[in-house]
Amino acid sequence: MQTAAIKPAFLSTLLLLAATTGAGADPIRQDALNWLQTMSFAAHQTDYSGTFVYQYGEHVEISRITHITDRDGEHGRLESLDGPRREIIRHNDQVWCDLGGGKVKMEQRQGGREFPALLPEQLTLLNNNYLIKPAEEVRLAGFQAHAMIFQPKDNLRYTHKMWADSVSGLLLKSQVLDERGGVIEQYSFTQLSIGGDIDRKWIAANQPVVGSHAHDVQDANHTHKQHDDQDLPLDGDQHLAHNLSKLAVSPVASGWQVDALPTGFKKIAEVRRQLRGRDTPVIQMVFSDGLAGISVFIEKADHDEDDHSGLSSQGVIQVYSKLVGDQLVTVVGEVPPRTVMQVADSVRNGGSQ
Amino acid sequence: MKQNISALMDGELFDDEAEALLDKIKRNPDAHEEWHIYHLVGDALRQPDHLHANIGPALRERLQAEPTVLAPRSRVKQNVRWFALSAAASVMALALVAWLSVQIGSEPAPQVAMQQSTALRPASFPVNPELNAYLMAHQEFSPSTDVQGTASYVRTVAGQ
Repeated sequence: MQTAAIKPAFLSTLLLLAATTGAGADPIRQDALNWLQTMSFAAHQTDYSGTFVYQYGEHVEISRITHITDRDGEHGRLESLDGPRREIIRHNDQVWCDLGGGKVKMEQRQGGREFPALLPEQLTLLNNNYLIKPAEEVRLAGFQAHAMIFQPKDNLRYTHKMWADSVSGLLLKSQVLDERGGVIEQYSFTQLSIGGDIDRKWIAANQPVVGSHAHDVQDANHTHKQHDDQDLPLDGDQHLAHNLSKLAVSPVASGWQVDALPTGFKKIAEVRRQLRGRDTPVIQMVFSDGLAGISVFIEKADHDEDDHSGLSSQGVIQVYSKLVGDQLVTVVGEVPPRTVMQVADSVRNGGSQ
Repeated sequence: MKQNISALMDGELFDDEAEALLDKIKRNPDAHEEWHIYHLVGDALRQPDHLHANIGPALRERLQAEPTVLAPRSRVKQNVRWFALSAAASVMALALVAWLSVQIGSEPAPQVAMQQSTALRPASFPVNPELNAYLMAHQEFSPSTDVQGTASYVRTVAGQ
């Protein structure tokens, strides 16, 4: 009797081993990919509000996040609870930023997806560039969560560990680790409510302003495009519309090339845009390996104090700038310092614009 | 006189001669002094643990006036420590040379360059607020936004 009881247990252990190590690894990996897609879906389709702690190095701060999806699409709000008041409001692909001096429209993604979720090609990229391993199950912020580890196959990107709610798939905690296993950045919910009665007043309060600005931008894109490069004297609303239209993002084939991208990074965008606080437009190329992104910005250097060169970092994000001829190249990405430097050093102009 | 004292100490004098000499020594301070010196020399030659020296009053006074120093052994220890440190340094230098030769021997140059760039990490500065526009523009397209949603924007406003 005893041996009969032990046998199935032993067999299943053996099967599990075979599944995790051998050719049978595919079902588990497919599982992980499905789970990632569920997480992405949950991040965009779930109504939730909660408080999370964001840490990097010695820096710790607490923020509140609210997310609601209705017939107008997605509404997101991020407020800092520590230090000076900072707020980010998102409505679909539009973002407003308030750093204490009133709301400022930051950007508009041209042809933006209403629900930017993980696309199948992104999942394939992920699968090619990272070893995806299921990890422990724990309780986080009152929810049962299970963790997944995304281990890179080279040292040009970081390891990511994510804990998601076992029921909704919502991301509860996320860590980015360096090659020695040290935590570079952590994001973790301390309190979270999913569904139920979530404060919507801020949406109503924002909507009229948000709506009219958004339309201004849309109109400006269509009617003022040809005037963008001219310095026409404009007054009042017209002037505002003109300025906002300059923030538009338009696809472009710039002729610039990046030769030393780490394997597995694919170009997902190449646009010409106006960054706030800059006089001249910049070229932005964006590359993704499914989990980490690298942006390459190229603009005419004006040789003043704004042309920062060198390396700086903000948690997992590294920024590296250098001059290439009379152009300033700035590389931004959720990758190690060596990667942004390697990328910046390999930027060249491969042809006329 | 000195010869007699020496002979007395060696037991080479007859009893009456010894008694006469001891009498002399008692009465004559110079002879008394001589007697003590010979005993001191004899003691020193036989290397006893303690010498019975009759230290003169002047010397005793000077000794008593000397301050007492309360850290007598540190110098010896320091020397040992110095030796230990320099020994450790030599071992480390040897290890470094060995490591370098291994590095140069087996690793291609780009690998070494990469190690150096890793070391650059502590020298990187916090993101300047003026760079925030780049961070926002990057976040818009970053795949991290697809998984984390609006929360990923925390990177663009943190620490400002």
